[in-house]
Amino acid sequence: MGFATSDILDNRQKSPRRMMPQRADELSDEQLMARLAGPEVEAAISELYDRYSRTVYGVGLKILGERSSVEELVQDVFLKVWRSSHTFDPSRSSFSTWLYRVTRSCALDLYRKRASRVRQVPDGDLHIAASRDPSDGPQEIVDESWLSWRVSRALQVLDAPHREVIALAYFGGLSQREISERTGVPLGTVKTRTASAFKSLRGELAIQDTSREAMR
Amino acid sequence: MRCAEIQPNLAAFVLGGLEPEEAAEVRSHLASCPSCHDEVRELQKVNRALEATPPHADPPSYLKNEILSRVRAEGLSPPNKEQTDESSSLEEQTGSFRTSRFNRLKELRIILPSAAAAAVVAMVALGVFFGFLREEPPVATIQLMPTPEEAARLDGYWGVAEIHPQPSGNQQVELKLNNFEEPKPNSYYEMWFVSGHRRISAGSFTSVGEGETRVLLNVPPDARNYRTLLITEEHIDNNPASSQEVALKGELP
Repeated sequence: MGFATSDILDNRQKSPRRMMPQRADELSDEQLMARLAGPEVEAAISELYDRYSRTVYGVGLKILGERSSVEELVQDVFLKVWRSSHTFDPSRSSFSTWLYRVTRSCALDLYRKRASRVRQVPDGDLHIAASRDPSDGPQEIVDESWLSWRVSRALQVLDAPHREVIALAYFGGLSQREISERTGVPLGTVKTRTASAFKSLRGELAIQDTSREAMR
Repeated sequence: MRCAEIQPNLAAFVLGGLEPEEAAEVRSHLASCPSCHDEVRELQKVNRALEATPPHADPPSYLKNEILSRVRAEGLSPPNKEQTDESSSLEEQTGSFRTSRFNRLKELRIILPSAAAAAVVAMVALGVFFGFLREEPPVATIQLMPTPEEAARLDGYWGVAEIHPQPSGNQQVELKLNNFEEPKPNSYYEMWFVSGHRRISAGSFTSVGEGETRVLLNVPPDARNYRTLLITEEHIDNNPASSQEVALKGELP
Protein backbone atom coordinates (compact mmCIF):
# COMPACT_ATOMS: atom_id res chain seq x y z
CA MET A 1 0.00 0.00 0.00
CA GLY A 2 1.41 3.36 -1.00
CA PHE A 3 1.06 6.86 0.36
CA ALA A 4 -0.64 9.69 -1.43
CA THR A 5 1.54 12.74 -2.01
CA SER A 6 -0.85 14.83 0.04
CA ASP A 7 -0.37 12.48 3.03
CA ILE A 8 3.38 12.92 2.86
CA LEU A 9 3.07 16.67 2.64
CA ASP A 10 0.64 16.71 5.55
CA ASN A 11 3.03 14.65 7.65
CA ARG A 12 5.90 16.95 6.80
CA GLN A 13 3.94 19.96 7.86
CA LYS A 14 3.08 18.37 11.17
CA SER A 15 6.57 17.23 12.04
CA PRO A 16 7.97 19.07 15.07
CA ARG A 17 11.20 19.81 13.21
CA ARG A 18 9.35 21.82 10.64
CA MET A 19 7.21 23.53 13.22
CA MET A 20 10.13 24.67 15.34
CA PRO A 21 11.90 27.74 13.97
CA GLN A 22 15.66 27.54 13.97
CA ARG A 23 17.44 30.08 16.15
CA ALA A 24 19.47 32.72 14.35
CA ASP A 25 22.65 31.81 16.20
CA GLU A 26 22.40 28.27 14.88
CA LEU A 27 22.38 29.37 11.26
CA SER A 28 25.29 29.82 8.90
CA ASP A 29 26.11 33.27 7.55
CA GLU A 30 24.65 32.26 4.21
CA GLN A 31 21.40 31.06 5.77
CA LEU A 32 21.11 34.33 7.66
CA MET A 33 21.58 36.25 4.42
CA ALA A 34 18.71 34.31 2.89
CA ARG A 35 16.52 35.39 5.81
CA LEU A 36 17.08 39.08 5.16
CA ALA A 37 14.22 38.94 2.67
CA GLY A 38 11.75 37.45 5.11
CA PRO A 39 9.96 38.33 8.33
CA GLU A 40 12.99 37.38 10.45
CA VAL A 41 15.11 40.15 9.01
CA GLU A 42 15.83 41.78 12.37
CA ALA A 43 17.02 38.58 14.02
CA ALA A 44 19.17 37.80 10.99
CA ILE A 45 20.81 41.21 10.74
CA SER A 46 21.28 41.25 14.51
CA GLU A 47 23.14 37.93 14.42
CA LEU A 48 25.30 38.98 11.48
CA TYR A 49 26.10 42.18 13.36
CA ASP A 50 27.14 40.21 16.44
CA ARG A 51 29.42 38.03 14.35
CA TYR A 52 31.07 40.68 12.22
CA SER A 53 30.72 44.17 13.72
CA ARG A 54 34.02 43.93 15.62
CA THR A 55 35.86 43.05 12.45
CA VAL A 56 34.20 45.83 10.46
CA TYR A 57 34.88 48.29 13.28
CA GLY A 58 38.50 47.22 13.79
CA VAL A 59 39.35 47.21 10.11
CA GLY A 60 37.49 50.52 9.72
CA LEU A 61 39.64 52.04 12.46
CA LYS A 62 42.70 50.86 10.59
CA ILE A 63 41.52 52.45 7.33
CA LEU A 64 39.79 55.62 8.49
CA GLY A 65 41.31 56.28 11.91
CA GLU A 66 38.56 58.51 13.25
CA ARG A 67 36.00 56.81 15.45
CA SER A 68 33.14 58.98 14.20
CA SER A 69 33.87 57.99 10.60
CA VAL A 70 34.16 54.36 11.60
CA GLU A 71 30.81 54.40 13.36
CA GLU A 72 29.33 55.79 10.15
CA LEU A 73 31.10 53.01 8.29
CA VAL A 74 29.61 50.28 10.49
CA GLN A 75 26.12 51.63 9.92
CA ASP A 76 26.64 52.00 6.19
CA VAL A 77 28.01 48.48 5.92
CA PHE A 78 25.22 46.68 7.76
CA LEU A 79 22.48 48.69 6.08
CA LYS A 80 24.07 47.87 2.75
CA VAL A 81 24.21 44.20 3.71
CA TRP A 82 20.47 44.36 4.19
CA ARG A 83 19.65 46.45 1.15
CA SER A 84 22.04 44.64 -1.19
CA SER A 85 21.57 41.13 0.11
CA HIS A 86 20.27 40.08 -3.30
CA THR A 87 23.71 40.72 -4.78
CA PHE A 88 25.28 38.08 -2.56
CA ASP A 89 25.80 34.77 -4.32
CA PRO A 90 27.11 32.08 -1.96
CA SER A 91 28.31 30.02 -4.90
CA ARG A 92 30.79 32.75 -5.80
CA SER A 93 32.26 33.75 -2.45
CA SER A 94 31.90 33.27 1.27
CA PHE A 95 29.87 35.80 3.20
CA SER A 96 33.00 37.03 4.93
CA THR A 97 34.66 37.81 1.61
CA TRP A 98 31.55 39.52 0.28
CA LEU A 99 31.22 41.54 3.48
CA TYR A 100 34.85 42.61 3.22
CA ARG A 101 34.10 43.86 -0.25
CA VAL A 102 31.09 45.83 0.98
CA THR A 103 33.20 47.24 3.80
CA ARG A 104 35.98 48.24 1.41
CA SER A 105 33.51 49.95 -0.90
CA CYS A 106 31.87 51.88 1.96
CA ALA A 107 35.26 52.81 3.43
CA LEU A 108 36.43 54.16 0.09
CA ASP A 109 33.27 56.25 -0.19
CA LEU A 110 33.78 57.66 3.30
CA TYR A 111 37.45 58.24 2.67
CA ARG A 112 36.69 60.24 -0.47
CA LYS A 113 33.86 62.11 1.22
CA ARG A 114 36.17 63.04 4.06
CA ALA A 115 38.92 64.07 1.66
CA SER A 116 36.51 66.36 -0.20
CA ARG A 117 35.41 67.88 3.10
CA VAL A 118 39.02 68.56 4.00
CA ARG A 119 39.72 70.17 0.63
CA GLN A 120 37.04 72.72 1.36
CA VAL A 121 39.10 74.28 4.15
CA PRO A 122 39.84 77.73 2.72
CA ASP A 123 43.38 78.24 3.98
CA GLY A 124 44.48 74.97 2.47
CA ASP A 125 46.42 73.89 5.54
CA LEU A 126 44.95 70.48 5.85
CA HIS A 127 44.46 68.65 9.07
CA ILE A 128 44.69 65.07 7.97
CA ALA A 129 46.94 63.12 10.29
CA ALA A 130 50.20 62.40 8.50
CA SER A 131 50.37 58.84 9.74
CA ARG A 132 50.58 57.34 6.27
CA ASP A 133 52.80 57.59 3.31
CA PRO A 134 51.25 60.43 1.29
CA SER A 135 52.02 58.54 -1.91
CA ASP A 136 49.38 56.00 -0.93
CA GLY A 137 46.07 56.62 -2.62
CA PRO A 138 42.82 55.59 -0.97
CA GLN A 139 42.71 52.39 -2.98
CA GLU A 140 46.13 51.31 -1.73
CA ILE A 141 45.26 52.14 1.84
CA VAL A 142 42.03 50.20 1.68
CA ASP A 143 43.62 47.25 -0.06
CA GLU A 144 46.06 46.86 2.84
CA SER A 145 43.05 46.10 4.96
CA TRP A 146 42.43 42.68 3.41
CA LEU A 147 45.09 41.06 5.55
CA SER A 148 43.70 42.82 8.62
CA TRP A 149 40.26 41.49 7.78
CA ARG A 150 41.53 37.93 7.41
CA VAL A 151 43.50 38.05 10.64
CA SER A 152 40.57 39.51 12.51
CA ARG A 153 38.24 36.80 11.23
CA ALA A 154 40.80 34.09 11.99
CA LEU A 155 41.12 35.35 15.57
CA GLN A 156 37.34 35.49 15.94
CA VAL A 157 37.13 31.83 15.02
CA LEU A 158 39.34 30.86 17.98
CA ASP A 159 37.59 30.05 21.20
CA ALA A 160 38.29 32.20 24.25
CA PRO A 161 41.09 30.10 25.84
CA HIS A 162 43.04 29.92 22.57
CA ARG A 163 42.50 33.61 21.82
CA GLU A 164 43.73 34.39 25.31
CA VAL A 165 47.08 32.66 24.87
CA ILE A 166 47.65 34.43 21.57
CA ALA A 167 46.72 37.78 23.11
CA LEU A 168 49.05 37.26 26.05
CA ALA A 169 51.91 35.84 24.00
CA TYR A 170 51.82 38.03 20.90
CA PHE A 171 50.22 41.25 22.07
CA GLY A 172 51.28 41.00 25.72
CA GLY A 173 54.77 39.72 24.99
CA LEU A 174 54.58 37.11 27.76
CA SER A 175 56.53 33.86 27.71
CA GLN A 176 54.70 30.55 27.96
CA ARG A 177 55.76 30.22 31.60
CA GLU A 178 54.53 33.74 32.40
CA ILE A 179 51.19 32.97 30.76
CA SER A 180 50.90 29.85 32.87
CA GLU A 181 51.66 31.78 36.04
CA ARG A 182 49.25 34.57 35.19
CA THR A 183 46.33 32.38 34.16
CA GLY A 184 46.89 29.42 36.46
CA VAL A 185 46.76 27.09 33.47
CA PRO A 186 49.43 24.33 33.49
CA LEU A 187 52.45 25.11 31.31
CA GLY A 188 51.87 22.07 29.11
CA THR A 189 48.30 23.19 28.42
CA VAL A 190 49.51 26.69 27.54
CA LYS A 191 51.92 25.22 25.02
CA THR A 192 49.29 22.94 23.57
CA ARG A 193 46.85 25.82 23.23
CA THR A 194 49.47 28.02 21.59
CA ALA A 195 50.33 25.32 19.06
CA SER A 196 46.68 24.60 18.43
CA ALA A 197 45.81 28.30 18.05
CA PHE A 198 48.59 28.77 15.50
CA LYS A 199 47.41 25.74 13.60
CA SER A 200 43.87 27.14 13.50
CA LEU A 201 45.06 30.61 12.46
CA ARG A 202 47.16 29.10 9.71
CA GLY A 203 44.20 27.11 8.40
CA GLU A 204 41.80 30.04 8.54
CA LEU A 205 44.21 32.41 6.82
CA ALA A 206 44.74 29.85 4.07
CA ILE A 207 40.99 29.36 3.56
CA GLN A 208 40.35 33.07 3.40
CA ASP A 209 43.27 33.57 1.06
CA THR A 210 41.65 31.11 -1.34
CA SER A 211 38.31 32.84 -1.07
CA ARG A 212 39.98 36.09 -2.14
CA GLU A 213 40.42 34.56 -5.55
CA ALA A 214 36.73 33.83 -5.69
CA MET A 215 36.03 37.46 -4.87
CA ARG A 216 37.81 38.81 -7.90
CA MET B 1 65.32 15.43 20.26
CA ARG B 2 62.75 13.90 18.00
CA CYS B 3 60.30 15.88 15.85
CA ALA B 4 57.34 14.74 17.95
CA GLU B 5 58.91 16.29 21.05
CA ILE B 6 59.89 19.53 19.31
CA GLN B 7 56.74 20.27 17.35
CA PRO B 8 54.47 21.24 20.27
CA ASN B 9 57.03 23.98 21.06
CA LEU B 10 57.41 25.43 17.58
CA ALA B 11 54.59 27.98 17.81
CA ALA B 12 55.89 29.20 21.17
CA PHE B 13 59.39 29.30 19.67
CA VAL B 14 58.19 31.52 16.81
CA LEU B 15 56.50 33.77 19.35
CA GLY B 16 59.73 34.02 21.36
CA GLY B 17 57.95 32.56 24.37
CA LEU B 18 60.23 29.65 25.28
CA GLU B 19 62.76 29.61 28.08
CA PRO B 20 66.35 30.08 26.80
CA GLU B 21 67.31 26.40 27.19
CA GLU B 22 64.14 25.24 25.40
CA ALA B 23 64.76 27.68 22.56
CA ALA B 24 68.34 26.40 22.24
CA GLU B 25 67.05 22.83 21.91
CA VAL B 26 64.64 23.87 19.18
CA ARG B 27 67.38 25.75 17.29
CA SER B 28 69.64 22.74 17.51
CA HIS B 29 66.93 20.46 16.15
CA LEU B 30 66.02 22.83 13.32
CA ALA B 31 69.61 22.88 12.10
CA SER B 32 69.32 19.22 11.23
CA CYS B 33 65.62 18.79 10.41
CA PRO B 34 64.35 20.28 7.13
CA SER B 35 60.79 19.21 7.90
CA CYS B 36 60.56 21.13 11.19
CA HIS B 37 62.46 24.00 9.58
CA ASP B 38 59.76 24.26 6.93
CA GLU B 39 57.11 24.11 9.63
CA VAL B 40 58.73 27.04 11.43
CA ARG B 41 58.74 29.07 8.22
CA GLU B 42 55.01 28.51 7.86
CA LEU B 43 54.39 29.48 11.47
CA GLN B 44 56.46 32.62 10.97
CA LYS B 45 54.05 33.64 8.23
CA VAL B 46 51.21 33.43 10.74
CA ASN B 47 53.28 35.41 13.22
CA ARG B 48 53.90 38.15 10.63
CA ALA B 49 50.22 38.19 9.68
CA LEU B 50 49.34 38.97 13.29
CA GLU B 51 51.05 42.33 12.81
CA ALA B 52 48.06 43.29 10.65
CA THR B 53 45.59 42.64 13.46
CA PRO B 54 43.20 45.58 13.58
CA PRO B 55 42.79 47.49 16.86
CA HIS B 56 40.79 45.53 19.38
CA ALA B 57 37.76 47.68 20.02
CA ASP B 58 34.05 47.10 20.33
CA PRO B 59 31.72 49.35 18.39
CA PRO B 60 29.54 51.50 20.65
CA SER B 61 26.48 49.61 21.79
CA TYR B 62 24.00 52.11 20.36
CA LEU B 63 25.13 51.37 16.80
CA LYS B 64 23.35 48.05 16.66
CA ASN B 65 20.09 49.53 17.93
CA GLU B 66 20.35 52.30 15.42
CA ILE B 67 20.87 49.89 12.53
CA LEU B 68 17.95 47.75 13.67
CA SER B 69 15.78 50.85 14.02
CA ARG B 70 16.64 51.86 10.46
CA VAL B 71 15.86 48.39 9.20
CA ARG B 72 12.57 48.46 11.09
CA ALA B 73 11.68 51.92 9.83
CA GLU B 74 12.54 51.16 6.23
CA GLY B 75 11.17 47.64 6.45
CA LEU B 76 7.78 48.80 5.19
CA SER B 77 9.29 48.19 1.78
CA PRO B 78 11.23 45.05 0.80
CA PRO B 79 14.95 45.76 0.95
CA ASN B 80 16.06 44.47 -2.37
CA LYS B 81 14.14 46.83 -4.54
CA GLU B 82 16.36 49.73 -3.62
CA GLN B 83 18.87 50.58 -6.30
CA THR B 84 22.23 50.21 -4.64
CA ASP B 85 25.42 51.92 -5.58
CA GLU B 86 27.40 48.70 -5.45
CA SER B 87 29.81 48.15 -8.26
CA SER B 88 28.52 46.46 -11.36
CA SER B 89 30.25 43.21 -10.46
CA LEU B 90 28.27 43.04 -7.26
CA GLU B 91 25.14 43.65 -9.27
CA GLU B 92 26.06 40.74 -11.46
CA GLN B 93 25.80 38.37 -8.51
CA THR B 94 22.04 38.17 -8.51
CA GLY B 95 21.40 34.63 -9.70
CA SER B 96 20.40 32.19 -7.01
CA PHE B 97 18.97 34.55 -4.44
CA ARG B 98 16.77 36.40 -6.89
CA THR B 99 15.47 33.12 -8.15
CA SER B 100 14.74 31.79 -4.71
CA ARG B 101 12.89 34.95 -3.76
CA PHE B 102 10.85 34.79 -6.89
CA ASN B 103 9.90 31.25 -6.02
CA ARG B 104 9.01 32.31 -2.53
CA LEU B 105 6.68 34.93 -3.91
CA LYS B 106 5.02 32.29 -6.00
CA GLU B 107 4.62 30.09 -2.94
CA LEU B 108 2.90 32.92 -1.17
CA ARG B 109 0.63 33.29 -4.16
CA ILE B 110 1.23 36.99 -4.36
CA ILE B 111 0.04 37.98 -7.78
CA LEU B 112 2.17 40.65 -9.36
CA PRO B 113 1.06 42.13 -12.67
CA SER B 114 4.66 42.16 -13.84
CA ALA B 115 8.09 42.57 -12.40
CA ALA B 116 8.53 45.88 -14.19
CA ALA B 117 5.29 47.31 -12.90
CA ALA B 118 6.15 46.14 -9.40
CA ALA B 119 9.54 47.81 -9.61
CA VAL B 120 7.97 51.08 -10.73
CA VAL B 121 5.46 50.93 -7.90
CA ALA B 122 8.19 50.15 -5.42
CA MET B 123 10.44 52.93 -6.65
CA VAL B 124 7.63 55.46 -6.45
CA ALA B 125 6.75 54.20 -2.99
CA LEU B 126 10.36 54.31 -1.88
CA GLY B 127 10.77 57.78 -3.33
CA VAL B 128 7.76 59.05 -1.43
CA PHE B 129 8.71 57.17 1.71
CA PHE B 130 12.35 58.16 1.85
CA GLY B 131 11.66 61.64 0.62
CA PHE B 132 9.24 62.04 3.46
CA LEU B 133 11.57 60.52 6.01
CA ARG B 134 14.77 62.20 5.07
CA GLU B 135 13.96 65.53 3.54
CA GLU B 136 10.88 66.83 5.34
CA PRO B 137 11.82 68.78 8.45
CA PRO B 138 10.32 67.52 11.70
CA VAL B 139 6.92 68.96 12.59
CA ALA B 140 8.03 69.39 16.18
CA THR B 141 11.31 69.45 18.04
CA ILE B 142 11.09 68.90 21.77
CA GLN B 143 13.89 69.54 24.20
CA LEU B 144 14.07 66.89 26.87
CA MET B 145 15.43 68.06 30.18
CA PRO B 146 16.16 66.27 33.42
CA THR B 147 13.47 66.55 36.02
CA PRO B 148 14.34 68.92 38.87
CA GLU B 149 15.32 65.98 41.07
CA GLU B 150 17.60 64.57 38.41
CA ALA B 151 18.98 67.98 37.47
CA ALA B 152 20.13 68.50 41.03
CA ARG B 153 22.11 65.28 40.87
CA LEU B 154 23.35 65.32 37.29
CA ASP B 155 24.95 67.90 35.10
CA GLY B 156 24.71 68.37 31.35
CA TYR B 157 22.26 65.62 30.52
CA TRP B 158 19.83 66.52 27.75
CA GLY B 159 17.99 65.15 24.80
CA VAL B 160 16.06 66.24 21.73
CA ALA B 161 13.09 64.44 20.17
CA GLU B 162 12.07 65.27 16.61
CA ILE B 163 8.62 64.20 15.43
CA HIS B 164 8.19 63.05 11.85
CA PRO B 165 4.64 62.14 10.77
CA GLN B 166 4.50 59.05 8.57
CA PRO B 167 2.21 58.37 5.61
CA SER B 168 0.63 55.62 7.70
CA GLY B 169 -0.44 58.12 10.34
CA ASN B 170 2.13 56.88 12.83
CA GLN B 171 4.59 59.37 14.18
CA GLN B 172 8.25 58.61 14.07
CA VAL B 173 10.34 60.03 16.88
CA GLU B 174 14.01 60.59 16.25
CA LEU B 175 15.55 60.73 19.69
CA LYS B 176 19.04 62.11 20.27
CA LEU B 177 20.48 61.91 23.74
CA ASN B 178 23.74 63.40 24.85
CA ASN B 179 25.85 61.85 27.60
CA PHE B 180 22.80 60.01 28.83
CA GLU B 181 23.98 57.45 31.30
CA GLU B 182 23.45 53.78 30.59
CA PRO B 183 20.53 52.17 32.40
CA LYS B 184 21.26 50.15 35.51
CA PRO B 185 21.74 46.39 35.11
CA ASN B 186 18.53 44.60 34.11
CA SER B 187 16.96 47.93 33.18
CA TYR B 188 16.21 49.87 30.03
CA TYR B 189 14.67 53.17 29.01
CA GLU B 190 11.21 53.69 27.62
CA MET B 191 9.71 56.75 25.96
CA TRP B 192 6.10 57.72 26.66
CA PHE B 193 3.64 60.19 25.22
CA VAL B 194 1.52 61.36 28.12
CA SER B 195 -1.81 63.12 28.43
CA GLY B 196 -3.20 63.42 31.96
CA HIS B 197 -3.21 59.92 33.39
CA ARG B 198 -3.00 58.24 29.99
CA ARG B 199 0.26 57.25 28.39
CA ILE B 200 1.31 55.60 25.14
CA SER B 201 4.69 53.93 24.81
CA ALA B 202 6.88 54.94 21.87
CA GLY B 203 9.27 52.06 22.49
CA SER B 204 12.23 51.04 24.58
CA PHE B 205 15.94 51.49 24.13
CA THR B 206 19.27 51.65 25.90
CA SER B 207 21.93 54.33 25.76
CA VAL B 208 25.69 54.47 25.41
CA GLY B 209 26.56 56.72 28.29
CA GLU B 210 29.23 59.12 27.11
CA GLY B 211 28.56 60.48 23.62
CA GLU B 212 25.44 60.60 21.51
CA THR B 213 22.70 58.00 21.54
CA ARG B 214 20.37 58.20 18.54
CA VAL B 215 17.34 55.96 18.17
CA LEU B 216 14.17 55.89 16.10
CA LEU B 217 10.90 55.20 17.91
CA ASN B 218 7.28 55.19 16.81
CA VAL B 219 3.88 56.03 18.27
CA PRO B 220 0.42 55.48 16.76
CA PRO B 221 -1.73 58.36 15.44
CA ASP B 222 -3.63 58.57 18.74
CA ALA B 223 -0.56 60.03 20.40
CA ARG B 224 -0.92 63.21 18.35
CA ASN B 225 -2.77 64.98 21.16
CA TYR B 226 -0.50 63.74 23.93
CA ARG B 227 1.66 66.75 24.67
CA THR B 228 4.11 65.49 27.31
CA LEU B 229 7.09 63.27 26.55
CA LEU B 230 8.69 61.22 29.29
CA ILE B 231 11.65 58.89 29.35
CA THR B 232 11.49 56.44 32.23
CA GLU B 233 13.88 53.82 33.44
CA GLU B 234 12.15 50.44 33.43
CA HIS B 235 13.26 47.27 35.15
CA ILE B 236 13.24 43.71 33.90
CA ASP B 237 11.38 41.97 36.72
CA ASN B 238 8.09 40.29 37.49
CA ASN B 239 6.21 43.57 37.87
CA PRO B 240 4.41 44.37 34.61
CA ALA B 241 3.57 47.94 35.69
CA SER B 242 5.66 50.73 34.24
CA SER B 243 8.03 52.46 36.60
CA GLN B 244 7.64 56.03 37.84
CA GLU B 245 11.36 56.76 37.53
CA VAL B 246 11.36 59.69 35.12
CA ALA B 247 14.76 60.50 33.70
CA LEU B 248 13.88 63.13 31.08
CA LYS B 249 10.80 65.17 30.34
CA GLY B 250 9.66 67.48 27.57
CA GLU B 251 6.54 69.30 26.39
CA LEU B 252 5.34 69.62 22.82
CA PRO B 253 5.06 73.25 21.79
